[in-house]
Amino acid sequence: TTLPSSSSSSGSADEEEQRLRAELRERFLRTLLLMTGKRVRFDMHEHVRVHARFGASDIDVLNLQVCDLETPLGVQREALLRSQDVIACSFEV
Amino acid sequence: MLQWRDRSPQHWHELVNHEVCVTNRDQQRFEGRVFTVDPVSASVVLLSVQESERLSVRVILGHAVTDVQILRRGTEETERQMKSVLLPDRAQSLSA
Repeated sequence: TTLPSSSSSSGSADEEEQRLRAELRERFLRTLLLMTGKRVRFDMHEHVRVHARFGASDIDVLNLQVCDLETPLGVQREALLRSQDVIACSFEV
Repeated sequence: MLQWRDRSPQHWHELVNHEVCVTNRDQQRFEGRVFTVDPVSASVVLLSVQESERLSVRVILGHAVTDVQILRRGTEETERQMKSVLLPDRAQSLSA
């Protein structure tokens, strides 16, 4: 069978999409690197705000590892936050 | 209408460098300049200058985003400023 003539153009469209994904992802990973070790504010649901030192996230950004998490019940030395429970996290540079 | 997480990398990339207003599920709004959108989690990274003149970086998790509206378009200068703060290593390697 012969490939339709449009296959080459869709191939380059895929390449272009992959290039954009790579650029966006690299910027995101560099943001996480910048956040590492910094005191970060986490905005949770129900307008709950907590602070912690950011450690790392897993590759799918499903969990965030933090230390010195300041909660109303005291400070947790180490904790994992589920991303689903977090709306936003912010820090200053 | 497409959910935010189902948007294409092209759509996300077109928002980079523009000042936007991000609305989340709780109807909270966050304003800032888009540095990137993570293509894996659809999380938006916004930059804004604080009153203390320090740069604030805010990551809004993709699952919480419902809408993103462009407020003001960025320029080459704003793109260059963002890169110099957040991509210093790459800027050096490009200029070498």
